[in-house]
Amino acid sequence: MELLDFARGPALQFAMAVFAAGAVWRLLGILLLPRTGDRSAARIGAPSRLVGALYVIVRRLWPRRPFLQVTLFATINSYVFHIGLAIVVFGLAPHVLFLRSLWGISWPALPSNVVYGVAILTLASLLAALARRVSHPVLRLLSGPGDYLSWLVTTLPVATGLMATSHLGARYETLLAIHVLSVCALLIWFPFGKLMHSFLFAFSRGAMGARFSHRGVSI
Amino acid sequence: MTGAVAAFDHQGEVTNEQRVQSALRAFVREFGVTSALHMESCVHCGMYAEACHFYVVTGDAKYTPAHKLEPFRRAYQREVGPFAAVARTLGLVAPVTISELQQWQELVYDSCTMCGRCTLVCPMGIDIAELIKEARHGLFKAGLIPERLALMDRTADKWGSPATPAEDLPDILHDVAQQYGVTIPCNLDRADILMTVAPAELGDHPKSIAATAKILNRIGANWTMHQSGFDASNVGFNDGDARLQEKLTRAIIDTALRIGATIVLLPECGHAYGAARWEAAKWYDKPLPLRILHVTEFLAELLSSGRIRVRPIGDTATYHDPCQIVRRGGLEQAARQVLAALGLQLIELKDHGVNGFCCGGGGGVVSIARATPLRHKVFELKRRQVEDTGAKRFLTSCGQCRITLDMGAKHAHWEQKVESLLELVADNLAD
Amino acid sequence: MRGSGSSSSSSSTRSPPSAHPNPTGAVPISSLVGDKPLINISGCPPMPQAMAGTITHLLAFGRVPELDELRRPRAFFGETIHDRCYRRPYYERGMFAKSFDDEGARDGWCLYELGCKGPVTYNSCATLKWNGGVSFPIQSGHGCIGCSEPRFWDRGGLYRPLSAGTARVGTIVAGAAAVGALIGVGASLLSRKRQSTAAKPE
Repeated sequence: MELLDFARGPALQFAMAVFAAGAVWRLLGILLLPRTGDRSAARIGAPSRLVGALYVIVRRLWPRRPFLQVTLFATINSYVFHIGLAIVVFGLAPHVLFLRSLWGISWPALPSNVVYGVAILTLASLLAALARRVSHPVLRLLSGPGDYLSWLVTTLPVATGLMATSHLGARYETLLAIHVLSVCALLIWFPFGKLMHSFLFAFSRGAMGARFSHRGVSI
Repeated sequence: MTGAVAAFDHQGEVTNEQRVQSALRAFVREFGVTSALHMESCVHCGMYAEACHFYVVTGDAKYTPAHKLEPFRRAYQREVGPFAAVARTLGLVAPVTISELQQWQELVYDSCTMCGRCTLVCPMGIDIAELIKEARHGLFKAGLIPERLALMDRTADKWGSPATPAEDLPDILHDVAQQYGVTIPCNLDRADILMTVAPAELGDHPKSIAATAKILNRIGANWTMHQSGFDASNVGFNDGDARLQEKLTRAIIDTALRIGATIVLLPECGHAYGAARWEAAKWYDKPLPLRILHVTEFLAELLSSGRIRVRPIGDTATYHDPCQIVRRGGLEQAARQVLAALGLQLIELKDHGVNGFCCGGGGGVVSIARATPLRHKVFELKRRQVEDTGAKRFLTSCGQCRITLDMGAKHAHWEQKVESLLELVADNLAD
Repeated sequence: MRGSGSSSSSSSTRSPPSAHPNPTGAVPISSLVGDKPLINISGCPPMPQAMAGTITHLLAFGRVPELDELRRPRAFFGETIHDRCYRRPYYERGMFAKSFDDEGARDGWCLYELGCKGPVTYNSCATLKWNGGVSFPIQSGHGCIGCSEPRFWDRGGLYRPLSAGTARVGTIVAGAAAVGALIGVGASLLSRKRQSTAAKPE
């Protein structure tokens, strides 16, 4: 029981503190760099930069037609585990309670069996992503320790959650403790690796969208 | 990195340590929030590889766009990233080495045309092409650019153009005027339109100069060329020499301002458009009181307002979209307006418009002999797409693209002629 | 054996007197007795069958029964309440009572959201039940409070669901974000300084 108390108590506190501090540090450290500005005249009829930015943030959620075929695996598989993670994190009743204890708001949970099914699909998708990363020459060249660590801290909560919920491998309180600790690991690593794309994507896409909408390019 | 060691050129006699330091300083100096966001947001998805013509035609992973930026990514993280101080102190990010900079010359110059197709695919919206441009600032300052580009750089610095010294311009224009029977004003003190050219016009395609002159004279414009600012292609923009980029830009803009011009007319050139239309303003405190127009959009305006008319040509045609004016520049529709006005039956390439494949020669690549085999492979891709349309004519609006495609055609013994949209308009002006 | 307050629970691993802040300095028997065999029959109160059964085992076989790592007889403390809870199907299907006496509660749904500690509590209440097998807390509509587990009263609250964290994080996170902001601003200033140094003519 000691491990569970530690996980639910000081470990979560520490992990959340590191997450909050690290994420704000990284975001401000980037966003406060100089704005190089673009004094060129906009293309006549071009939308405002903000509109251009918002447009690309949404448009880039799906590949442009000519590129869909060649990016099909990455596109589909990534959405499977992203949406899967969202369903599991926000849809499982114990998670809703966890978030309620954090944020004070709650919402109806999904049937647990449905979430378990989604979790298994998510785990399979994450494993497929890893398999792709270690086998595709381009991804092998690009990938470093950070990529694998990000994968691990994302996959462990899903795997340990499934183990805890099926009481598989150890006593329940140990499994639950390990699950909570795996979430702590995720929170701690989150601000420092590529998982920050969950915040950065909007800024990055938006900046590019602003640049090209100014030029009248539908990108 | 693959096993083979890449060849590289170097300029200047400085120590390797100095080269690395210069590279870092130059690269880091201009890092703004947009570039930083892009450096930070990569999730290593590798989706763009299939968009890059160099990867597509070789299947070699080293041509993966983000890989071309690897030492610069580390430079960013060590120097100006949010965790830079920690990265340096704890040695979390390896410092950039001289041998990496040397090895990366080939990736940054030989196998990237800054075409921006990768930018189109990236789910994080990272403008990789723009980052490569910034990486070139570093390599330039380190004296590690391909020698041919360095030669063009030195020449352009002395002459105002890599093609010809300013003092020869009047003679060249005189010859063109005589050969094609047009009037080409030069060095007027006062004019509404400052016309500029690129090395392609001065060398391979002088007819384009005559074509522009013919059209400007037809509409009765008050225009001139000028020795103090005549070559709009910007070697500095291409090779990473920011100082030269500013100098060449100012030559054009200051001349235009001095003669009271309200329009700077750019030739059929890609990078000239990027340099003048989108980047010139950054050296002036206030917005420029002139319009900077690519001849393609100028023609589109003249045609749609009826100031010029063309005889319709009933042929089928396909069009190569120059990357810098279409995908990076916004002239996809303008080009098609001109094609439509010409009465051509446009059969689009499989990848056309903003999605078009690069000719393979932009950004200085056509000038790098080392890159020739690579360029020829890219040409095969374009050739197949053109042939698949079955179109009779093959048109484009960039002199460098024409040269690249012509060289490819010659090597591959391809009969198809590559034509200039501008010249076609001039040849078919209706009375 | 619910009796007069604390003195009867001498067989527990720890007793309520040692609840935070533990003014009397109460300690479990196991920290005082070292040289004799020790069996813990935990629970508040301990299950009478557990006591009777253990004593019977000692008399009949003359040896200590099999114990878990908390020195509790496995026969009675080997499984969790959750393992034997009759409301388990509701747990599996995610049908939880949201408040006492709501419709779910009246229909006998799982009490996880109301703080039931069944999944982490080892005892035999769910099978043997209380008062001669009449009922046990969950059957009566109240979540298991985990009374046979160490320090069950200092674990974050009887009504706090197991999946909720036990520590207060609000202030910590706000403070951490403020610290992060300071460092972030500092980092950006440092970067800008590095940039302007790089911009100086060489």
